[in-house]
Amino acid sequence: MDSMKSDEDLVDDILAGAENGFSQLHDRYRRLVYSIAFRILQNSEEAYDASQEIFIRAYRSLDSFDRRKSRFYSWMCRLAVNQAIDCWRARRRRAEAQTPEDSNGRFLGVPALSDAIRSPHGELESKEKVQEIWRCVDALPELQKKVFVLRYFQELKLEEIAEMENCSLGTVKTSLYRATQTIRRVVKRGGDQS
Amino acid sequence: MNRPANRHYSEEEILMHILGEEDSKEGAILAAHLGECQECRLVLLEYQRVLEDIRCLRVDEIPAVAWLEQKERLMAFVRNESRTSFRDIRVRLGGVFVQTWNYAIAHPLPALGYIALALALASQSTISIFRLDHVLPTTGDVIQVLKLLL
Repeated sequence: MDSMKSDEDLVDDILAGAENGFSQLHDRYRRLVYSIAFRILQNSEEAYDASQEIFIRAYRSLDSFDRRKSRFYSWMCRLAVNQAIDCWRARRRRAEAQTPEDSNGRFLGVPALSDAIRSPHGELESKEKVQEIWRCVDALPELQKKVFVLRYFQELKLEEIAEMENCSLGTVKTSLYRATQTIRRVVKRGGDQS
Repeated sequence: MNRPANRHYSEEEILMHILGEEDSKEGAILAAHLGECQECRLVLLEYQRVLEDIRCLRVDEIPAVAWLEQKERLMAFVRNESRTSFRDIRVRLGGVFVQTWNYAIAHPLPALGYIALALALASQSTISIFRLDHVLPTTGDVIQVLKLLL
């Protein structure tokens, strides 16, 4: 009953040489890994490539996973967010090198967006507004971006994120608050304009 | 928490309350305050709307075929890696060690016999390979003892 095995048991299997366990981990975690990468990179192709890198990195560092210290889920989130941030940094450096005149911290890429945008409250109606929010997310400082993605989309507790990032709970709380406040300003501005 | 009842909560505290990131005692005090303070309630409503907007940001889907291709590539990498990796060698050595240890625990006397034999062979090989009997005169006695043992 391999499909019933916990992630931690699968890790033990892989470390003991059972390659099939890694295939199962890919099935379980590909969406999580991709969605983290997408929310940081905001481009499906780059996020797809990054997710492959994340799995390779995961495989190579599986023996550093300690089930007494963290859940495999949060270990994987941490790995994904760090790798995605590395890709984001590399992209930013490339973009800055290509267009030095545009190096004043502005967002340089255009995010790929879903055509279907849900609007439960009739407030997030325009693609422009969504793009504006994505731009804001892209421009967030690294720690704010990490905390934002991990808390709002992966539903990790702030305490867990603080442990993951090796910083205090207060720092994580402030980072999340600042990130949310930035988005709030954009949402508010959009609301005032319409 | 000692705070004056008429003081407003900060936006950060209200956001943490929405997210359930405060302890239950603090949460109960803040909830009671929100029941009375319209100003703080407005901040709460505004942040709730922002969070709803944030959660509406969707992720572009990847076709199932692309995932399959990725999995195949990854599995090829894993197979290649496990053939050459030090980790695999370590795992195998670890497995042999555990098996040997279990045997030694289950059969202590034969295990001690094997250990003595291994030591004797190792000593004799060391002496003969490095010609220690020529270098150290007393090693001749060791060889005699080993010959008796074997």
